[in-house]
Amino acid sequence: MRVVIIGNGVAGMEAALEVRRREPLWDITIISEESDHFFSRTALMWVFSGQLSHQCIEPLERDVYERLSLQRIRARAVGVDVEAKRVLMAGGREPVPFDQLLVACGSKPRPGPWPGSELAGIGNFVTHQDLAWYEAEVHGGPSRGGPPPNADAHLPFSTPDSPYRKRDVAAEARGRRARDVAVIGGGLIGIEAVEVAHAAGLHPRFFIREEWFWPMAIDRAESTWISERMRAHGVQVHLEENVERFEGERSVERIVTDQGSYQADAVVVAIGVVPNTDFLRGEGDMPLTLDRFGGVVVDERLETSVPGIFAAGDCASVRWFNGAVRPEQLWYTARDQGRVAARGLLGDTAQRYARGHWYNSAKLMDIEYTTAGLVNFHVEGERNWFFEEKGPVRSTSRIVLSGDRVVGFNFLGRRWDHAVLIRFIEEHRTLSYVLDHLNEARFDTEFVPPLHIPMEARLRGLSEGPAPSALPQPVAPPAV
Amino acid sequence: MDLQGQNGLDNTFRESWRNRGVVAWVVAGTLISFYTLLYFGGDLGLNDVPALNFDVWAQAIGLPSRWHLYGLLYTVGVVGGGVYYLRKHGNSRYNKYRIAVNVAVQVLLAFTLPLVMALFGQGSYYFSYLWPLAWYDFHPGHLASIPAAVAVWTLGGALVLAPLMAYRYGKRWYCSWVCGCGGLANTFGDPWRHLTATSTKSWKFEKVAVHTVMFIAIGSTFALFLDAFAGDRLPAFHRIVDGGQWWSVKRLYGYVVGSILAGVIGTGLYPLLGPRVWCRNFCPMAALLGLQQKLGRFQITVKPDMCISCGNCTTYCEMGIDVRSYAQSNESFTRSACVGCGMCAHVCPRGVLRLENLTRKRNQGDKARQGLPVVNL
Ligand SMILES: Cc1cc2nc3c(=O)[nH]c(=O)nc-3n(C[C@H](O)[C@H](O)[C@H](O)COP(=O)(O)OP(=O)(O)OC[C@H]3O[C@@H](n4cnc5c(N)ncnc54)[C@H](O)[C@@H]3O)c2cc1C
Ligand code: SF4
Ligand code: SF4
Repeated sequence: MRVVIIGNGVAGMEAALEVRRREPLWDITIISEESDHFFSRTALMWVFSGQLSHQCIEPLERDVYERLSLQRIRARAVGVDVEAKRVLMAGGREPVPFDQLLVACGSKPRPGPWPGSELAGIGNFVTHQDLAWYEAEVHGGPSRGGPPPNADAHLPFSTPDSPYRKRDVAAEARGRRARDVAVIGGGLIGIEAVEVAHAAGLHPRFFIREEWFWPMAIDRAESTWISERMRAHGVQVHLEENVERFEGERSVERIVTDQGSYQADAVVVAIGVVPNTDFLRGEGDMPLTLDRFGGVVVDERLETSVPGIFAAGDCASVRWFNGAVRPEQLWYTARDQGRVAARGLLGDTAQRYARGHWYNSAKLMDIEYTTAGLVNFHVEGERNWFFEEKGPVRSTSRIVLSGDRVVGFNFLGRRWDHAVLIRFIEEHRTLSYVLDHLNEARFDTEFVPPLHIPMEARLRGLSEGPAPSALPQPVAPPAV
Repeated sequence: MDLQGQNGLDNTFRESWRNRGVVAWVVAGTLISFYTLLYFGGDLGLNDVPALNFDVWAQAIGLPSRWHLYGLLYTVGVVGGGVYYLRKHGNSRYNKYRIAVNVAVQVLLAFTLPLVMALFGQGSYYFSYLWPLAWYDFHPGHLASIPAAVAVWTLGGALVLAPLMAYRYGKRWYCSWVCGCGGLANTFGDPWRHLTATSTKSWKFEKVAVHTVMFIAIGSTFALFLDAFAGDRLPAFHRIVDGGQWWSVKRLYGYVVGSILAGVIGTGLYPLLGPRVWCRNFCPMAALLGLQQKLGRFQITVKPDMCISCGNCTTYCEMGIDVRSYAQSNESFTRSACVGCGMCAHVCPRGVLRLENLTRKRNQGDKARQGLPVVNL
């Protein structure tokens, strides 16, 4: 049996490991354009800052491919010939035949719609090659940890529209490294790009179209604190400012918005990601069905419209916990989908992908963030309970109720165990029960005093309706 | 304001002195030369050169012996490194309290007290070093020569207090709060903690090496004991154990374990192999406490399905434990090597890890935490 997996990300790799566990003799081939080794995409920022090396962000030892005899092809796939069961390759490489195929090709950055976007010095922060570009702009090259092995090995077997192509570096043309860095887009990748520029000693500008940073996830009161921290660190936060165009000769020199014009040596566009599925459209018929988001349509077993071909991870449109069907760009869901798809590849027909409760955590500058359940979701009979802790520990806690039932949590400043929060939700607990037992979910490091909620705050904190400053429209929970 | 987690981003792999650059090699060379002179200057015949004789240096600044000079330098290293550490990681209370205790123990118990005693013509006692790290402590001759209260501490500390504490709180109570070797590693050595090898190979070496030294330490302590009581009747045995030749057990242990492994290699290689080479691979105390920890209540709890496999924990674990492999498979764990420095939890950007001394209640919580139904695999 020949299994081919397009993608060496978490979805593809989990699937490969799972198939190998069950089938020691099957032929498994992993096609990956981006890198020789599976790495943690979530950790790009620390490679940029120099906190981690490329090898540090690889979750498995490098010899795993040899040990488990997983074959690798470092080249771009440009289409799938469903009839002949072959993956078509760029650069004149032989097509790769398969009996079963897993498409786990991840996301690519959403391109900026603005004039001037093709100038050198404008890039993203999603792929290895984006990282190399951003490092070249700001640091003049990779850290002493070095570039990833064979960083450019795929270039002869790539295409000009690939998200893994090599970028032009404005710093090289200019003859000096970037001083004025701008980041566009107030989401997680945006704040990470800002944070690492700040760590490099710069004072980046952060352009956010919305009224406050990350409105999908946090409300105005919560976000104000984040902006405050950013400004305290020297980040220039521009809220409610729309980018209009970029100006410059060959490299970007200025960024023009509806409110002004600013010097810019390097611009990171971080306005979201889209499924990296253009190559599946290929020439001629499109065998795999894609939806309007560009995600590969799959059933509950993650099988696509073509039997024997599965899709998993960022590129697949899956059923969210709220019933919506669209791509979900998260590490833990990509990993779980990889495992489920592997069962499909193994011929297990009973295995279904079922999304559990929503939860996530992050670090926004130096503030811990944990969420679980339905937050900013405009649930029926919504009420919000909010408490701001000031003192030796600063934190905010928001608990969302539907009627008398607790359905969601949003926390900043402390660490919480989402599993316990989800238990509260599943047990249909009331606010007073949850407040009495909240510290069971505490996950703070040792010696941090427990959260103490004064009696009057328990009552005063509750307000009817959605969170006072939440978005007017119900939104899907935030991915990156 | 009290913040958890890492305070700002580090640039470990951009700073050459922290990533095996020229300066790192120079510092390592200096440390190795220093330790070689300190321990073996006499044997190498270098003590005749005044500039290379640390006793001369010590007397020049009014200290009784080279060992007090060494103690002074050590303390300066711990205090200076402590300041560096607190600036980097002092935003979190665990780190703050831990390093404060470490520095205080070094300054007061390991340096000032012995110095004052020496200046008053008394024998020096190092209360913060326990057997088997202070390997000679259990020698009957030594026990007989010290005041009864000190002898009670020497025996009780090593045989009762240390195992009980390790059972209750993990070996961290010693290795990361009290011990001078750990103290130096976590202060002066902190800039290089990410250099500790994390490969499977290094783990295999560690397991064999550290337990071998542990058995040698325990076995040779028995031998010393036996020798003290029956040495007269067994002259050949006495010659082997404590005969005074360089190859006698007593001197060999001192040279190999005390001087070479703990000093020359253990500290000398900080800038190249990370600060816990000695603690991880050779320290008999760490091995023994590790076994007690394994049976005890300390564990690192993992939040289920929250890890993003970034590798910060594994990289910054000074004991080379692949923390990420546990985190990404949702496995709370107790590793005997873990010194409970808390850095894995500190640097984790998703707050996945927590150091805990389990109680019954928490155990139940832990069960409830295991079954997070994302997919029913
Ligand atoms: C900066 C950043 C931070 C993030 N932080 C978080 C976070 O904190 N938490 C979280 O849950 N998620 C986070 N994410 C999202 C998370 O990283 C992704 O959801 C996850 O990595 C998706 O994995 P995947 O396996 O689906 O795809 P990917 O990791 O994108 O892998 C795609 C693979 O497909 C290959 N490939 C694609 N197209 C082709 C082709 N045509 N030919 C050959 N090979 C191809 C590539 O080489 C690559 O190996 C972050 C993402 C970014 C960019
Ligand atoms: S596992 Fe964590 S606490 Fe234990 S030694 Fe490593 S970093 Fe320190
Ligand atoms: S436990 Fe935390 S630090 Fe370790 S790999 Fe997972 S997310 Fe990263």
